[in-house]
Amino acid sequence: MIWFFDGSKQAFLTAFVYAYRDEDAVLSAGNSQLMLGQKSCFVRADAQKARRAEERLKTIDPACMKELDLLLRSGENNRGQIAFAYFRLIAARQCPVRGMLAEDAVTDAAECIRRVTTELHRFKGFVRFMESASGALYAPIAPDHDICDLLVPHFARRMPHIPFVLHDVRRAKAAVWDGKHAFTAPLAQAEIALSADEAGWQALWKRYYASVNIPSRARLKQMKGYMPVRYWKFMPEDPASLAESLRQAPKASPRTPQDGAPHPNGSPRSPHGCARP
Amino acid sequence: MISEEKLRILTESAKYDVSCSSSGSGRKNTGGLGDGMPDGCCHSFTPDGRCVSLLKILMSNDCVFDCKYCMSRASCDVPRATASPEEICELTIDFYKRNYIEGLFLSSAVHISPNHTMEALVRTVKLLRTRYGFQGYIHVKGIPKADEGLVTEAARYADRMSYNVELPSERSLKLLAPQKSKQSLLLPMKQLQRERALFRAEKRKGYFLPAGQTTQLIVGASPECDGQILRLAQGLYRAAGLKRVYYSSYVPVLHDSALPDLGSPALREHRLYQADWLLRFYGFDAEELVPPEGDLPSDLDPKCAWALRNMHLFPVEVNRAPLEALLRVPGIGARSAQKILAARRYTSLTFEHLKKMRVVLKRARHFITASGKFYGAGNELAVRGLLVAGEAHANATQLSLFDGAARSALTGEL
Ligand code: SF4
Repeated sequence: MIWFFDGSKQAFLTAFVYAYRDEDAVLSAGNSQLMLGQKSCFVRADAQKARRAEERLKTIDPACMKELDLLLRSGENNRGQIAFAYFRLIAARQCPVRGMLAEDAVTDAAECIRRVTTELHRFKGFVRFMESASGALYAPIAPDHDICDLLVPHFARRMPHIPFVLHDVRRAKAAVWDGKHAFTAPLAQAEIALSADEAGWQALWKRYYASVNIPSRARLKQMKGYMPVRYWKFMPEDPASLAESLRQAPKASPRTPQDGAPHPNGSPRSPHGCARP
Repeated sequence: MISEEKLRILTESAKYDVSCSSSGSGRKNTGGLGDGMPDGCCHSFTPDGRCVSLLKILMSNDCVFDCKYCMSRASCDVPRATASPEEICELTIDFYKRNYIEGLFLSSAVHISPNHTMEALVRTVKLLRTRYGFQGYIHVKGIPKADEGLVTEAARYADRMSYNVELPSERSLKLLAPQKSKQSLLLPMKQLQRERALFRAEKRKGYFLPAGQTTQLIVGASPECDGQILRLAQGLYRAAGLKRVYYSSYVPVLHDSALPDLGSPALREHRLYQADWLLRFYGFDAEELVPPEGDLPSDLDPKCAWALRNMHLFPVEVNRAPLEALLRVPGIGARSAQKILAARRYTSLTFEHLKKMRVVLKRARHFITASGKFYGAGNELAVRGLLVAGEAHANATQLSLFDGAARSALTGEL
């Protein structure tokens, strides 16, 4: 039986209660392909059932609800099933299972959570704000996973006095810090009047980015590994056009034997550079 | 707002400094702008594959010193620029607010005099911390031969400072950087270490270099061998309490009879980083890795080479070996070792389990047993052959084990 649920925690826990005893149950947060001949059922959240399941699971493993939250934020289609397998193991063993790395259910869940937290960590760096005429900051983002509200505490801590909006354009929702409170709201489109200096700072940043690059040392594969292309869209430094201009430009200097060899820690090809008084 | 041209000049002369890390500071926001992220944070990556974390910029590239290897040296004909403290502060604040950067890495050529330069650096970071209320990351480069008082004052505002040793011996310094001396670099390092220890011992309020000190060594501009370099690094870690030593392959950009015509192979730099990692995170001593007058082997990473010299210690049983022994197995990194420790509490681990846990077995299998089973080649010669072949393959495809973010590097499987 395939048990569909709406992706929320309550609906997951309700579905978990129903599906737990079903040997070949599959849980799906809505977008898995229905196989011909397979029975399916859409589970509506039942607050009471969900609360009881949560209580029971929490007594077995107090930390597991935080993991559930992260699993359900995943943008992967099989997140429902990964979470189900993990929680079924917790219920079956009646103890925390996260150390049992030889179990598929545990490694799958751990990997899924890691992908969500990795993206969260990356976005602390990759978010780009622009300044509006009112001084508030606005950043459009399109993350793989549903993380925009998880980013708010990070930025609110470092800029408590500046209101900002993190706009997940893919999910049409916004996470907002108004200078005092954090909240989320649906947001399809935003019209932002930019501050007078915004274009100037963006231009300086773009110039900085181009200047700090060492053109004789193109390592695009590595660059894209650390900063996947799908994240480039909202970056004013415009990584795509710098990468492209380097690809087209003829090599200024003959390649030294060093090129293509390893450069641990991004150390430079040339030690000429000042900065070494 | 600083002009684009000035920004370009001051960035291009700063960009070859290896250090860009923003880690090690847990500075809290107390009402201003910014805070520290202890793990550091990469904000962008340039097409050369390097991370952009800090606004890495020189106050001035107009130098009175004449280091032979440097483009900013007095006798070089290049465009010069000098920024004002306000220009640097504004740039930092407006970049930081937009989340372009994690903070500032401020350095400078020796403009007019060491004290004049150090004063300008101090004025800038003080302004940034006080008037602008900035609490993000600040790394300040120390200027050799500046007064002690200025050095201390800089440390009161900075998260990290660095004096670049550059050349591994006094003789090489004399030859290539005549205005510097070993003392002019080591004394302020020791001064800062002393003051930092005192600050901590007295549990004083505020911060004093929470992210400590780092340095950089040029490899291959002078004749010192790996054995000397690693012992120097080990000394800097253990005696001077440095957080990090960076290595930078020499590549000739300026012709000079005192400098070699050929650059240093990047593979050598890579091996030094691997060995450095073993010193800091894997419990190795420099003496175990390379003889004082020798170089690291190039065909094998230093951990494999060590293991092959010590085959009598292997194989170790993954279900029983202590952490220190697991960390010494080629191919098992810090993360894999932790995973093994966690998982073996529940079950006796087999090779199947290890595979499922994504422990890379290509090298490790020659040095471990799992539940008594052994799948290695057995004799030393065969193991060496397989390891060297594997290494050559890895070199051909990608060797950037240690690139990029400190986070990924920390767990680099060695
Ligand atoms: S002190 Fe030496 S390394 Fe530093 S800028 Fe001047 S010439 Fe270059």
